[in-house]
This record gives sequence, structure tokens and C-alpha cells, in this order.
Amino acid sequence: MMRLRFLIAFAAALLSWASAQEPGTVVPSIEFAPVGKVQIKPGGSKSVPLDFRIAKEFHVNSNKPHSELLIPTALNIPAAQMFKAGIPVGVASLQYPVGEDVSFPFAPGEKLSVYSGDFSITAVVKASPKATAGEYPVSGELRFQACDRSACYPPKSIPVKFTVSVSGK
Amino acid sequence: MKRNGLVFIALCVAIIGMVVSGKYLNRVRSRNHNAVIGDVRGKLAPDFELTSLDGKRVKLSDYRGKAVLLNFWATWCSPCKVEMPWFVDLQKKYGNDGLVVLGVAMDDSDSSKIAQFASEMGVNYPVLLGTDKISEEYGNVEFLPTSFYIDREGRFVGKGVGLLARREIEGNVQKALASRVVGISGPEEPPVGQAAGRQTTAQ
Repeated sequence: MMRLRFLIAFAAALLSWASAQEPGTVVPSIEFAPVGKVQIKPGGSKSVPLDFRIAKEFHVNSNKPHSELLIPTALNIPAAQMFKAGIPVGVASLQYPVGEDVSFPFAPGEKLSVYSGDFSITAVVKASPKATAGEYPVSGELRFQACDRSACYPPKSIPVKFTVSVSGK
Repeated sequence: MKRNGLVFIALCVAIIGMVVSGKYLNRVRSRNHNAVIGDVRGKLAPDFELTSLDGKRVKLSDYRGKAVLLNFWATWCSPCKVEMPWFVDLQKKYGNDGLVVLGVAMDDSDSSKIAQFASEMGVNYPVLLGTDKISEEYGNVEFLPTSFYIDREGRFVGKGVGLLARREIEGNVQKALASRVVGISGPEEPPVGQAAGRQTTAQ
């Protein structure tokens, strides 16, 4: 029993050492929180919050950065999944949160509009009155470009998926 | 009882082996873009051939005999903007001593936008259009800004990842300039017509 405890403690200490990040090695990431099934009736609409979490120490530009050179965070939904005539279920609009104006040590005199920590984009989903009952997958990509306090990282995209379930009339 | 002891030791060895090998493999995988100043010192900088903003083909080896500050940057990189005026000053201050700053733009956007940005920043040194190949050859440059300091013999004297203090950058430049090339009587002239906004103005 004593040996087992020692073994567990030893393994835990080793794992802790192994998982410690070296400076400058952490790659920025954004996690997309899974969305439960979105229930909607034919002809109806629903606001679907899409929640994202930015890795600690990083920030991304908001959807409306203060400079056109900066790459905005944007959820790109294929045209075929945007709601319009002939599409049974689609995304009618996207609402982005307002960015936080922050000064960073690399440019103390400048304020950048950024997201950090958790942020949420609202997708307004609509179903056509003629939509038949069933499940409709919606998929897109969140494009972002992250920086920390001293370096920036190339633009990246992560997949964003959820399912809209249209119930019978 | 003796057998239990052997199993215990074997388990310990297995855990150590797995963890250490995992850590080692992770380090090997990311070594190229992890390198901090010093990791590359003394190694020969890979030669490259890139297109400058004015369409010329530029090789690193064109600058043998010069100290080179090779700076990877992008227009979307705010920390990179902080360094650029420092590079302009350093090019003016040390140009006559043999310093050449080379900017490598890692943007996907078209070169006219990069040129406009460089011009607005008053860049007085050549700006080259970066490629995936040079990024790979220089250790998968992912973190911007990243700068390499290359001596007159074409060897790395240092590397800086992220925004460094100006004095650190200048210190690395001075180290690169301190080298001397055997068999070359004096610094070669850089190829002309490669500056982004204007020609190198070092006096």
C-alpha cells in the first residue's frame, strides 16, 4: 500500500514536470464550447450563443479592430448555410461582442480592441416556414489572430459546428 | 514478496521512460520554433533567395562580409511595429560599419499593402516577401517578431523571439558586427535598389 502511494505521488510529480511549458513555446488556442441541439419550429428563429475560450495570456482582435491592418476575429459561415430564400434552415445574422480597448506593453500609447478570456458570438438561426422536420447541421470556421504581451501568431481557424433540429408543426 | 519489489521497480522505470521520452519527443518536435537566443549561435545561417518589394531576387549570401539583422514580421503584428523604428535607427547608426537590416514580411496580403505599410513606417532597409520555405529553413518561424543576428561570415550570433528591449537588439547587432571575415578585405556593397520605401540611407 505504501509502495502504491509512493508510485502514484511519483507519477504525479513526473507528469507535472513533463507538462510544464517552456517559455515561448505555448501556442495560442481558442476552444469552442459544444452547443446542445438547437430546437426550432418551421418559420421560427432562435439566438444561439456560441461560446469560445481563449487560452490564458493571449488575446485576439475583436471583430472590429481599430486598424484595418489587424485581422478581425470572424465566424465564417458558408453561403449555402446562410438563411435566404430556398434554404430551409440557416444563419440569418451574427452578433459579435464589443471588444475591450486595451493598451499592451508593446504599444502603451495605443489601444487595441480585443477579446480575451471567454467571449460569445450569437448566431441567429432561422427556419423557413416550409422547413421539414429533421436535423440540419450548421458548420463554419472561426478565424482569429492571437498575440500575447510580446509576440503575435499567424492567423488560424477552428471549426465551429452545431445542429439545428426542426420539429414538426 | 521479492517479485512484488521487481514489479514495483519495473513500473517506476516504465513511468520514467514514458514521461522522459514524451518530453524529449515534444522538445524535438518543437525545437525549431522554440529556440531562444543562443540555441542557434555558431551555426551557419541557411542561404535563401527571396523577392524584394521592388521585384529583385535577394540572397542572404549577397551580404557575406556584412552583419545581417534578419527580421521576420507582418503588418498584422503590433509588437513588430514597435521594433521597426529601432531598426531604421540601427541601420542609420551602424550601416557604415557594415550592418544590413533585412525585413522578411510574412503577410499573405499583396506586396503593395506591405510596401505602403513599410513606407509609412519610414523603413530604410530592404523588405523581402517571406515564404513558407524560408520559415521552415529558419525553424518554422511562427512567433512574430522573430529576429536572427548573423555575423559577417554568415553564422548566427543570436536569435530573438518576440519583442525585445532595444538595448538587447542593439547588443546583438554589435555582436554580429564584431565578427571579421577572413579573406575578405572589406565589407561588400549590398545590392542596390532593394529598399522598401527608399534606398538604404545609412551614412
